[in-house]
Amino acid sequence: MFATQVHDYLRTFFRETKCEIESDEGHIMTVQLTIDIDKKIMNRPFYWQYVETTGMPSNPARLTLITDRSKIENQFMGEMIHFGSRRLNQIFKATKELGAFVKMYQSVPIVENGNRPTLMPYFCVNYKISYYCDQTKEKLYSLGINLVNGNIQDHFHESIFELELQNEQPENIFCLPYIIKPHRGLERLDEMIQSIVQNDDHTWAHEANMRWEKEQEVLDYFYEGVEEKPECYEIEKKALKERFNPRIKVEIINGGLFYLL
Amino acid sequence: MNIERSSNWREDFNKRLEENGPWDSWSLYKMSYEIEKMNLIPEFSGLQAPKFLTNLMFLPHQMEAAQTVIEKMNGKAILADEVGLGKTIEAGLIMKEYMIRGLVKKALILVPASLQNQWVTELNVRFFIPAIPYRKNTPLDQYDVVIMSMDTAKKSPHREKIYEQDYDMIIIDEAHKLKNHKTQIYEFVQSLKKKFCLLLTATPIQNDVFEIFYLVSLLKPGHLGNFESFQSSFSATKHTLKEEKYLKELVNQVMVRNRRQDTGIEWTSRKVQTIPVIFTEGEREIYDMIFDLKNVSSVFKSSFTMVTLLKEMCSSKEATFLTLNKMLEKCITKEETDYIESIIAKMMTLEVNSKAEKVLEIIEAANDKVLIFTEYRATQAYLQWYLYTKGISSSLFNGKFSKSKRDWVKQLFRERDQVLIATESGGEGINLQFCHHVINYDLPWNPMKIEQRIGRVHRLGQEHDVHIYNLAIEDTIEQKILDLLGDKIDVFEKVVGDLDAILAT
Repeated sequence: MFATQVHDYLRTFFRETKCEIESDEGHIMTVQLTIDIDKKIMNRPFYWQYVETTGMPSNPARLTLITDRSKIENQFMGEMIHFGSRRLNQIFKATKELGAFVKMYQSVPIVENGNRPTLMPYFCVNYKISYYCDQTKEKLYSLGINLVNGNIQDHFHESIFELELQNEQPENIFCLPYIIKPHRGLERLDEMIQSIVQNDDHTWAHEANMRWEKEQEVLDYFYEGVEEKPECYEIEKKALKERFNPRIKVEIINGGLFYLL
Repeated sequence: MNIERSSNWREDFNKRLEENGPWDSWSLYKMSYEIEKMNLIPEFSGLQAPKFLTNLMFLPHQMEAAQTVIEKMNGKAILADEVGLGKTIEAGLIMKEYMIRGLVKKALILVPASLQNQWVTELNVRFFIPAIPYRKNTPLDQYDVVIMSMDTAKKSPHREKIYEQDYDMIIIDEAHKLKNHKTQIYEFVQSLKKKFCLLLTATPIQNDVFEIFYLVSLLKPGHLGNFESFQSSFSATKHTLKEEKYLKELVNQVMVRNRRQDTGIEWTSRKVQTIPVIFTEGEREIYDMIFDLKNVSSVFKSSFTMVTLLKEMCSSKEATFLTLNKMLEKCITKEETDYIESIIAKMMTLEVNSKAEKVLEIIEAANDKVLIFTEYRATQAYLQWYLYTKGISSSLFNGKFSKSKRDWVKQLFRERDQVLIATESGGEGINLQFCHHVINYDLPWNPMKIEQRIGRVHRLGQEHDVHIYNLAIEDTIEQKILDLLGDKIDVFEKVVGDLDAILAT
């Protein structure tokens, strides 16, 4: 992420979260946080606890953020923010919390002949799969199910992210009611992701098990002939398991209902 | 295979569906997905951390070391780069990588007390890892990354508190402090769960080959066999190795060691000279008297005290005096007391310190900043006084100095004084690349200590050739130390790899 990308990101984030941007010069911006965002990104729970218990007037932070230091003469004017910095990570986390559930309608131009266009209901879930052993690999799947006919399609997000969508139902359109209920759709997608994971190539897990086995042999060799193995043997053994034992995690990033042409 | 499904997203979604909202912003939704995509770890191999650490310029050997540890050594390794090549950077990079990959959350970093703050700064400022220094009563369960001094960690109640935690990663700096398996710290680390573990030391072998056995056995018990099998295959006697090639290969499976010349960086060279010093007649007389102590009475038979005294005499009469004075208290018979007092009386009349004079010669010839190492505080003070009488200003440094005092002394040396006189414990954790001359006023038994000393000056950022002067007084114990140092370096090279010139050959 380059400095300008970070800057654009921040600008959108603060606009969307209703924090007032007081000045913005493209490489430095000053923003007045709302209470809600202050709690999410400033990392000062004790302050907020104090404010809330004493009932004193709250004073959410006003931040000056520098995204491109090379354009600044006095770097002490604000806080440097860049890809990898803790503040930006907190903002990423806040984004995740605040962008988890949507219900969107495709914007439709008004048609002259009086025919009401019809929007089809879809349900989408964006999954992240993590494969863990002593190494990690992640995959993203964006699965969408048509709530009328039950068809499931991959790369759903990629197919809709450039569409013009709005969060209010447009006038003069007809939304087909769903036949498959969203929570049922969710179950179908969960089943789908489960089967995708199960059918994936799991050589990695096999290899991790081999590494584990090999290290276990080495450890056993160290204590060969020792009748009562000391506690550190068990500790080591446990550590080996924690390090190599292959496991898979499926996480939902976000998802929602979409009414599309 | 077991699939863990995490998140209460499902319930939350159903709730919002029932209540028709509140619904989130489409922009934030898209941004959230974009971030996930950007931060995705697409492969098991490779490093993700550097793209988060654009403020750091990693050197090729540092990246390679991190990758080797993660991909080939499965996250347990000895980082044994030569002094000054950035072991801390490598450790930070590896830890960051594991944190990004979600494999490490809690980490414990054990360091010598003098390096605690340096680690805190390094991790926070350069790696954006929120590490805190451990103080008494720091609640360990509330902090994920804690930096603790080894001496604190091994003692109650701290050690019990550590055992209660479930650390994913253990990093130990200056790990050669764990070479002795009979020490408290060794036992402490042995019983610590080590899932991912890095041991940092420039000097995995200091004296004999068993040190590497114990170090590796701490990291990966069994890798070098058990003690019996190791002993029978690798050591007929302590200093010679038969199957060293095989051992070297085994060690290299768990150890990364970069040498200056492998780094692809142009290093300035080391010019090492051993400078013989000859005692004056007066000095020699006293040295011999001390040497004869053992014949005077059994009280003086302890070889340790004898060796100390002889070494001190090679350093300065000031250093010798302190020990002699203590011995006076132990004397029982008049004969013993008289003998020691006669030595002291002789010393009082001594006006010349041949070694100090040699030092002055070197400083004048260098006409530049000079770093002097001595093992004795008394010698340190004497040298400062002596140089002062010759019009040369100096500062003193020792390892007990606090962080701020260290910085202050470094500043003084850089800006004001021509000479910095450091004691042994000052060898670690101060970097003086602006200086190009190092005098080893007296020699320690351990070659790696000399390497640590030289490393203060000859490290990344040094732009000039570095001159090393090893002083040794002829026909004294220092001659023996010099020979022994040579032997030890030999063992090290066979097992670990070549060393840069420490002693002139």
